[in-house]
Amino acid sequence: MIELSDVGFSYGTADVLRGVSLVVRPGERVVLLGRNGSGKSTLSRLVNGSLAARSGEVAVDGVASTPETRRAIASAVGYVRQDPRNQIVSPLVLDEVEFGPRNLGLPREEVRRRAERALEACGIDRLRTRMTDELSGGQQQLLSLAGVLAMEPRYLVLDEAGSHLDEASRAVIADLVRRLVRGGTGVLEVAHGPEALFGASRVVVLEGGRIAWEGLPDDFLRSEGALKASGLADDPLVAPLAELVRGGGMLGERPDPAALAAVLTGSDVPGGEVGRSGRHRLELRNASVSYDGLVALDDVTLACSGVTLLLGASGSGKTTAARTLAGVLAPDAGGALLDGAPVSAGEVGLSFQRPEDQLFADTVLEDLSFAPRMLGLSPEEADVRAHEAAERLGVAGDLLDRSPFELSGGQMRRVALAGVLAAHPRACVFDEPSAGLDAPARRALRELVSSLAREGVAALVVTHDAAEWLDVADDVVLLARGRVVARVEAKEAARSPELFRAAGMEPPLLVRARAMAQGDSHA
Amino acid sequence: MRRMLAPGAYRPGETLVHGIDARVKIVALLVASATAFAAPAPRGVVVVAAGLLVALAASGTSPRRVLMALRPALVILGISLLANGVVLVGQPGVSVEGLARSATAIVRIVIVVGLALVFSSTTMPPAIADGIAALMAPLARLGVPVGGLSTAVSVALRFIPLASEEVERIRCAQRARGARLDEGGVIRRLSGWGQVLVPLVVSLFRRADELAAAMEDRCFTGEQTSMRGRLARGDVAVLLGVAAWAACALLA
Repeated sequence: MIELSDVGFSYGTADVLRGVSLVVRPGERVVLLGRNGSGKSTLSRLVNGSLAARSGEVAVDGVASTPETRRAIASAVGYVRQDPRNQIVSPLVLDEVEFGPRNLGLPREEVRRRAERALEACGIDRLRTRMTDELSGGQQQLLSLAGVLAMEPRYLVLDEAGSHLDEASRAVIADLVRRLVRGGTGVLEVAHGPEALFGASRVVVLEGGRIAWEGLPDDFLRSEGALKASGLADDPLVAPLAELVRGGGMLGERPDPAALAAVLTGSDVPGGEVGRSGRHRLELRNASVSYDGLVALDDVTLACSGVTLLLGASGSGKTTAARTLAGVLAPDAGGALLDGAPVSAGEVGLSFQRPEDQLFADTVLEDLSFAPRMLGLSPEEADVRAHEAAERLGVAGDLLDRSPFELSGGQMRRVALAGVLAAHPRACVFDEPSAGLDAPARRALRELVSSLAREGVAALVVTHDAAEWLDVADDVVLLARGRVVARVEAKEAARSPELFRAAGMEPPLLVRARAMAQGDSHA
Repeated sequence: MRRMLAPGAYRPGETLVHGIDARVKIVALLVASATAFAAPAPRGVVVVAAGLLVALAASGTSPRRVLMALRPALVILGISLLANGVVLVGQPGVSVEGLARSATAIVRIVIVVGLALVFSSTTMPPAIADGIAALMAPLARLGVPVGGLSTAVSVALRFIPLASEEVERIRCAQRARGARLDEGGVIRRLSGWGQVLVPLVVSLFRRADELAAAMEDRCFTGEQTSMRGRLARGDVAVLLGVAAWAACALLA
């Protein structure tokens, strides 16, 4: 049993956790929810002993966490992080899984046996001899999990382990975790979305470093206060789920589209709300791109005006298409057009998942005015643009003289977005913009993108979180193996699971439920 | 994602050379490189070159890849050939003797590059790290942290593709904001790289930090179970073969 009693923690003088008491028993899956900065990650790091509590006590199976017991706690509590690429040590799959058991000093045969067992449990034994950086994100995360399982921990901490993955990979990991829990492993799952609620033993909500709510998942959905404190009230899946349990339904072990379909009404089907006139138009015309003979885009033609979602399984060519549209990647054939004219780099805004990839100037102000200056505006005009963009994104004036790399994650993201918008682009490409954000921040981002679209900007959103973007989108383009498999209106895609399947993707729960609500029994 | 295989990168395969123990390959490479420089010209060099041909054939490496790997050095090699061959002082002209001397030196360099390429394209990075650790094992008695060093080598090898991927993404994001990284004179281009360097270093440090924490979470202390077995008979035979070949080349 993992026991936290009255635990406090602070970085410098800032309190991160106060008076937190929590228990995770073997065979239990406890879901930890909370907004970014609520102390979730700190709490999970206390549980595996990599941080030491300032006050109170953390104990695992009766062993108190101290610097001396660090190793014992770490071997009992496995820890899987958000970004798989930052936890893989070895260039080779088998070697990666052997890393943990080798550190435990086990004999060679035992190391091999455990590694093979863990690879098999995660269903990736056939990848044994592959190089780790050749794997897809989902496979890498399964590998991280295998690397932890090979140490045979009694407890597992999953720190938003699914947030960088697509729907299908998240489902595979959820199944695996369910099996582990049934086998007696105790799991603490830090989550950012409502999918984690299915089959959870308990839900704990952190707010401002304190436990704001604790109870059963069904009760969590019934409690307005808990939903608000966790930030999950802003997630589009939560409203129908809450309606389901309030109407006497059960959340159940795993997502059940049929149960959800019963509470969905016709009004849940979203749709673009603005007319098409006066909008800019970003297009890809007969574009082909190949890398060393590997075809990434094969004669792709697509158009984006308003908000267009670009969806596809990993390796389908989404990112290549995004870069080609932004004019930073020259296609082998065909090209990108903005309002009918060829796109050149700098005309189309491009925003990436991690803000630090986009920032480079010495101060925030310089960074924000960089793009306008490159457009040939005078320094004064560029500064005006920078201030406007800062205001729009809520970047406080006192941050403008700081280095962009000193900022907190949330501030950095706003600065990065402001830096893109300061150029007043006629079209914007967002590559995985919402991964790793909490529900309120994701909602703010969706609102920003729709307000840009209302101003006429063509916004292309590349995402693996189709469900939450469908509501604000006008069109959806699905890619598979470098080809366009479907181009439909968002309200059509929102109730057509077969479109997702045709693109080799797992349809989102809400899409399956909507299809069922409309009488399609194949959903 | 754009994926360019560098000439020396590991290529999965099942050739004879792929199957040889990394420790044997490291020792063989060291012996062969020393021999390539020490063997008397021309007969010794011919024996060494024959060895390279055998290695290329046994590893399925095309000679074209060796030439590609040499491309960055072509200018320097060319200059050295000219500098040795063209006589400007005394009686200006072309010195055959100088040309021959320089050509021999170049052949030796080509042989070493070829052998290194055969080694690196048939040996997985963790095996290289592990092999280095095995060969340095005696140093552990002198207090050298051999286990930690070998993991450091392995992690460094893993970070090379990560760093290049990161550079590519950062450049994309910056070009999209109008940064002109590939235009202008040398100075402008160099200062453009400065803009890439700052975010690159920030991001690599952040990732390195996180990786270090992840390694600690998996109980890494530097001491690890060794996964090395004993040398197989074939490996010993290869070692003996290399020794015999080196002796032939040196005595030729």
